[in-house]
Amino acid sequence: MTDFKSNWWKILGIILLLYSVVFGLGVPLKHGILQVDQFTTKSNTQLKIKVEGYNSHYDEYATSAWLKIDSVHYIESNLCRALSATLIECAFYIPPHLPSKDSVVSASLIIDNKYDGYAILPEAIFIEQHIIDVSKGESLWSPSGSLENIHINKEFKFPFRNILHETVRNTFYHVSLWFAMFILLIASLVYAVKYLRQPHSDFDKKAYALNAVAILYGILGLITGSIWAKYTWGTFWTTDVKLNMTAVAMLIYFAYLILRQSINDVDRRARLSAVYSIFAFIALIALVFVIPRLTDSLHPGNGGNPALGGEDLDNTLRMVFYPSIIGLTLIGIWIAELKFRLATIEEKVRMN
Amino acid sequence: MNDFRLNIKEKPKLFNMKRIYVLAIFLLSGFLNTAHANSLDFLRSTGKIYSVIVVIATLIIGLAWYLFRLESRIKKLEKTHNHGK
Repeated sequence: MTDFKSNWWKILGIILLLYSVVFGLGVPLKHGILQVDQFTTKSNTQLKIKVEGYNSHYDEYATSAWLKIDSVHYIESNLCRALSATLIECAFYIPPHLPSKDSVVSASLIIDNKYDGYAILPEAIFIEQHIIDVSKGESLWSPSGSLENIHINKEFKFPFRNILHETVRNTFYHVSLWFAMFILLIASLVYAVKYLRQPHSDFDKKAYALNAVAILYGILGLITGSIWAKYTWGTFWTTDVKLNMTAVAMLIYFAYLILRQSINDVDRRARLSAVYSIFAFIALIALVFVIPRLTDSLHPGNGGNPALGGEDLDNTLRMVFYPSIIGLTLIGIWIAELKFRLATIEEKVRMN
Repeated sequence: MNDFRLNIKEKPKLFNMKRIYVLAIFLLSGFLNTAHANSLDFLRSTGKIYSVIVVIATLIIGLAWYLFRLESRIKKLEKTHNHGK
C-alpha cells in the first residue's frame, strides 16, 4: 500500500473482520441449562429432576437450585447431587398450593454455583394443582431470600440463550451482513438522490457500485440464515413473514440489476436506476422492518419485537457485534470503490 | 460490446482464488457432518473450534490479499489511462 493515509480504513476493515471471527468464535458461552428430564409435575409431590448443564462444573462446586414462579414466589431445592460436571440431580418438595388461581403454573429453573454463576431455564416445569388456595400458596412459596445470593460470573463470556445456544455467534456474521447491507443501501440512496439533482456520472457509478455490494451482502445474509435454519428448524426455508418479505425485497433489488443491464443509453440508465433504487429502498424498509413486526415470527428476536437492542443483545455480544458491522461495511465500501474506479476507467476507454 | 473489454496484458487470475475457496469449503464441510450427529459435543470441545477460527481467518486474509491485488491493478490501469488522456 503506497498511500496509507487515504487507505487506512481498508486495513481497519480487515482487522475488524478478523477480530470478529477470532473473538466471535473463540469466546466461550456462559453457564446454561440444556434440558431437564421432566416437564410436568403435581403439587404436593417430591420432585426429583435430572438437569443437564452447559459449561458447568457441578461436580467441583456446591450447586443450588430453585423453582421460581415470579420474583416473589420461589422455592429452593432440598438436595442437589452432582452426577457429573454437566449432570445434576435436584430434589424439590412442591408445596400443596400455588400462589395462583390457575390450575397449571409454569416455573423457571435456576441453577447456581459460585464458579459457574447462575443459569436460568424459563418455563422448565409445569406444575398442576388440584386444590386451589391462593393465600396458603402465597405463604408456601414466599422467598427465603436465598435467591439474592446467587453468583454472577464476571468472566468475558457470551450469554447462553435458549434455543440458540452456540449459534448466538451467528449474530456477528448473519445479522452483521444485514446491517452492513442496510448501511450500504443508505449510502447508495444518497448518491442516487445526488444524481437526480445533478446528473454527474460519478454519482450514478457510485450508487450502482454500492447497490451491487449491498445485494451481494443480502444474498450472503439469506444463505447464512438458510444454513442456520437447517440446523435449528430442520429446513432451509420456512413460510415465515420475515423470511418471505426479505426474499421479496431481494427480488426487487435483483430487478434493479436487470434494469441496469437492459438499457443501453447511459443517461437514461442512470436516471431510471436512481429512481428505481429509491423506490426499492422504501419497499425494503416496509417489507423487512415494518411488516414482520406486525405478526408473530419464528425468526430469533421477533414475535413482535426486534433483536436490535433491549434484552436480546448482551454487552459482551455488543463488543463483537458492532466491530463486525463496521468491518463488513468498510470492506463493502472498499469493494464498491474498486467497482467504481473500474467503471470510471471503462468509461474513459469507451470515450476514446 | 467488445469495446468495453479492456486490453490489458495481465488478466486477474480469478480461477486460482476460486479453487482455493472451493477447496476450503470442502475442507470445512467435514465439520458439518459431525455437527449433525451431536452438535453440542462438537462445539463444546473448544479445541476444535480453534481450527475453524484459523480456517476462517485464512479465508479473510485470502480475501484481503485478493482485494489488495485488485487495488494495485486498478491503480496501474488508472495511471496508464490518465497519462493516455
